Amino acid sequence: MRNENEISTDHLTDEELFALAVPPAGAPEPLPVHLSDCVQCSQALVDWKRALSEIGREDGEVIAGRSAEEWRAAEEATLAAIRQAGAPGRRRARTLRWALPAAAVLALFALLIAGRSTKTPAAFDDPSGLSAQDRADDALLRDVDRLASGEDAASGWSELVPDPAGTDATPPAERS
Amino acid sequence: MKPFAAAVFFASLAAASTALPPPDMPEGKWWKRPRVAAEINLSPEQVSRIEGIFSRARPVLIDRKAELEKRQGDLQDALENPNADRRAIASRVEAVEDARAELQKARVLMVLDIRQVLKREQWERLMRMQQEFRRQRRERFGRSLERRRPPADDRPR
Repeated sequence: MRNENEISTDHLTDEELFALAVPPAGAPEPLPVHLSDCVQCSQALVDWKRALSEIGREDGEVIAGRSAEEWRAAEEATLAAIRQAGAPGRRRARTLRWALPAAAVLALFALLIAGRSTKTPAAFDDPSGLSAQDRADDALLRDVDRLASGEDAASGWSELVPDPAGTDATPPAERS
Repeated sequence: MKPFAAAVFFASLAAASTALPPPDMPEGKWWKRPRVAAEINLSPEQVSRIEGIFSRARPVLIDRKAELEKRQGDLQDALENPNADRRAIASRVEAVEDARAELQKARVLMVLDIRQVLKREQWERLMRMQQEFRRQRRERFGRSLERRRPPADDRPR
């Protein structure tokens, strides 16, 4: 547990931002003092909330947009993957002889690609190089995006309807 | 409970109307971010023209954002009033969504003007960067979501 002074000087971790974006069941977590001083962390929190909204919207669209054929194809693909994995205890020594080097090469490629692609996108929320006026304009544009696209309404309206099971972060499809 | 039920009904309608994905546009003041500008080869002259477009749009955006927030405040007040009637709440929900539409219009027109300044390949590269940025943000978020999800045995039934 960090004390007050540490919270006000250290940037918030992903875990802390996540806890603020999706508070556990019950009352929202109190906002750390650091958030009011740090443009970077307050922007990061806005980004996390936006990501939550995007995930909810896209998952819903993808699932709702699936046709009967696509559902069957997805089911077939899953079953095929299970069959390919083989029954427990089946001998796979011959496969592994070439699979291990192949997996190593693939992992190397994945690392190279990840290294290239993570560099550029982060530039969209990197506050370095912006003057105070530019940062204010940046905040204005992000607020306008959020308000104009109705993301505030999507989260605000849900608060009107009480959730009998309490608030949780589990996607609706997985709730029972 | 009647006003509350009416509010939920109109709010659902409003939320449904805004559930459409927003037009894909780059976030924030991207043209002032050195790495983004370098990535799409933005010239100083282009930066200057884009800044001019934004400077002209800024007062409109500020006004319309303030108007929307004011309308949202009015609606919130009505929702918290146990004596508010359906009609009052319905008209305030409409006022909120009208203000939102005006803000969206100003935003889209500004982006349209900015797009005219860019070459086609610059715009496409910018959009690809934006999509990749959002994808990575969702992945990062998804990983945290997965880490925080309780084990299957602990989930409420």
